[in-house]
Amino acid sequence: MTERPGRLLAPGLAWLALFFAAPLLMVAAYSVMPAAPFGGVARGFTLAAYARLADPLYAGIVWRTLWLATVTTLVSLLLGYPVAYVIARSGRWRRWLLLLVVLPFWTSFLVRTYAMIFLLRDTGLVNTLLLKLGLIQAPLTLLYTPGAVLAGLVYGYLPFAVLPIYAALEKLDPTLLEAATTLGAPPRTAFFRVTLPLSMPGVVAAALLVFIPSLGSFLTPDLLGGAKTSLLGNLIQAQFTTARDWPFGSAASLLLLLGTFAALVWHLRRRDAGPDPLAP
Amino acid sequence: MTLLRALSVSLSALRVSPCGVFWSVPADTLVEYRRVSKHYGAHRAVNAVSFGIRRGEFFSLLGPSGCGKTTTLRLLAGLETPDADGGEILLDGRPIQALPPWERPLAMVFQSYALFPHLTVAQNVAFGLEQRKRPAAEIAERVARALALVRLDPGTYGRRLPGQLSGGQRQRVALARALVVEPVILLLDEPLGALDLQLRKEMQLELRQLNRDLGITFLYVTHDQEEALTLSDRIAVMDHAQVAQIGSPAEIYESPRTEFVARFVGEVNVLDGALVGRPGARIAVRPEWMDLFAPGAVPAGEVSLPGTVRQVVYLGETLHVHVAGPGGQDLTVALRNEGQTTNPIPWRAGDAVAVAWRPEDLQLLEEG
Repeated sequence: MTERPGRLLAPGLAWLALFFAAPLLMVAAYSVMPAAPFGGVARGFTLAAYARLADPLYAGIVWRTLWLATVTTLVSLLLGYPVAYVIARSGRWRRWLLLLVVLPFWTSFLVRTYAMIFLLRDTGLVNTLLLKLGLIQAPLTLLYTPGAVLAGLVYGYLPFAVLPIYAALEKLDPTLLEAATTLGAPPRTAFFRVTLPLSMPGVVAAALLVFIPSLGSFLTPDLLGGAKTSLLGNLIQAQFTTARDWPFGSAASLLLLLGTFAALVWHLRRRDAGPDPLAP
Repeated sequence: MTLLRALSVSLSALRVSPCGVFWSVPADTLVEYRRVSKHYGAHRAVNAVSFGIRRGEFFSLLGPSGCGKTTTLRLLAGLETPDADGGEILLDGRPIQALPPWERPLAMVFQSYALFPHLTVAQNVAFGLEQRKRPAAEIAERVARALALVRLDPGTYGRRLPGQLSGGQRQRVALARALVVEPVILLLDEPLGALDLQLRKEMQLELRQLNRDLGITFLYVTHDQEEALTLSDRIAVMDHAQVAQIGSPAEIYESPRTEFVARFVGEVNVLDGALVGRPGARIAVRPEWMDLFAPGAVPAGEVSLPGTVRQVVYLGETLHVHVAGPGGQDLTVALRNEGQTTNPIPWRAGDAVAVAWRPEDLQLLEEG
């Protein structure tokens, strides 16, 4: 009897073909067809949707999306690295601390985002607290600002930053730090010369895991951001729902896919290349 | 009151010090452990250990795993902190505890090599010099010299990553990385443990040579008694968190003080003293210092015990004859192999023999 591992792939491949490849191809096809007046698409070929993406209004949304995703990634890394570092060194407590990191996933993202509204609105917990303490006289506008979206995205994706960094730090051989110490490196130098460079694969993975979903986010900016914080995800959602412009929504989707794909290619090339052995 | 305290302090010093009322550090002593202790919870890793390491010598800590030898070494490096009342370690006559580990003028070679995997060989070796803020030109020159010292061509290996080297080459890089900073003392924690036998023998000779050529003091941790005997000027045999005996390889091997030392360093026959007219004592005789004779043919002046040959084991260089002595005690006698095809020994299993040795080859053991 000969093993044919190809057969084992068949169910998965069929699933992907039906629910991933086919919709993707449909989206690609829609993006080059004229819009029908009441939603859907009409027969024909046009690049009008792509031309519209270059419109400054939409270019602004693309730019804002990239910017917010980048800031979200940076903030998540800055907050997540110390958390991962502490967990990786907390001995027998680490399993419990890791559990705490993934605890938010036990509740729906939607519910958690609504909770943010209760925190941030004018009569919310934060403003009430600040008013009671006499630190402010009038409520601060926290909700429906880019800051609120940033806070929501960082809150939502922080675990994705912590986990891969933790995995990288946990693998780190503590003897390497002892070697650095005996060679004369104080703890801070040892961190920047040994720990940080060796945990970079985890940092890069964390950056991708935060950056990619941030790029496509629409729920958080929809609930926490105002009209001015509309992101690419909201634009796409609007085109398929209220605006009934499927070709434009499809074109924007493909642009988003391209951005995600570029980030992944960068990551894979970086990983394959590895550290250059001939670098001075 | 103060006088009383001072008196009791000096009295306790008298009790613990083997050499006199006051701690006196001989001029050639580089490192001095003074009743150094280290606990992990209730576990005593190092228990009031005292010894000195002389300038330039190759000093080994030898013992079974868990005896505290590695902790003793790491205490000097500052990778472990002694107990609050755990004595002190002096380096060049000054307590070393005041210095943080990264400011101690020493270097260390780890069993796992602990090379930085993201840095090239040259960058690894340069690491310590960079911490010491040496100029770039000096670093490059000293790195090349250190690599040449451990017989690695800087041009060939300098730009490689540790992952691209064999185990032996990594060991050499680790050695170069430690030696390049010109430490006052080099700490080696089972550095050859991961190498195969052939390479280990080769590296042993090189380590000995480096110690002699560079004049750097070596503190070497090993569980391999043969390695310790081969390399060391002096050995401290450790057992249960304490030093069981300190001495030259010959002293340790030929005059073991306790049964533990006798058994751990080489093979030994430990006998009840009553068998040879020393009731209550334990005595040790090395197998190679014993000889076999036909009953009644023992030369005058030698001590002997009657026995029956159990089996003969062929080891190449020697033959081990296992003899059932009085009371069934197993005695091992090592005979030189002078060629079993041309000049075979006359003993076979079941033969009645006399196991004999010269009285001066007998070692009285202390309790412990």
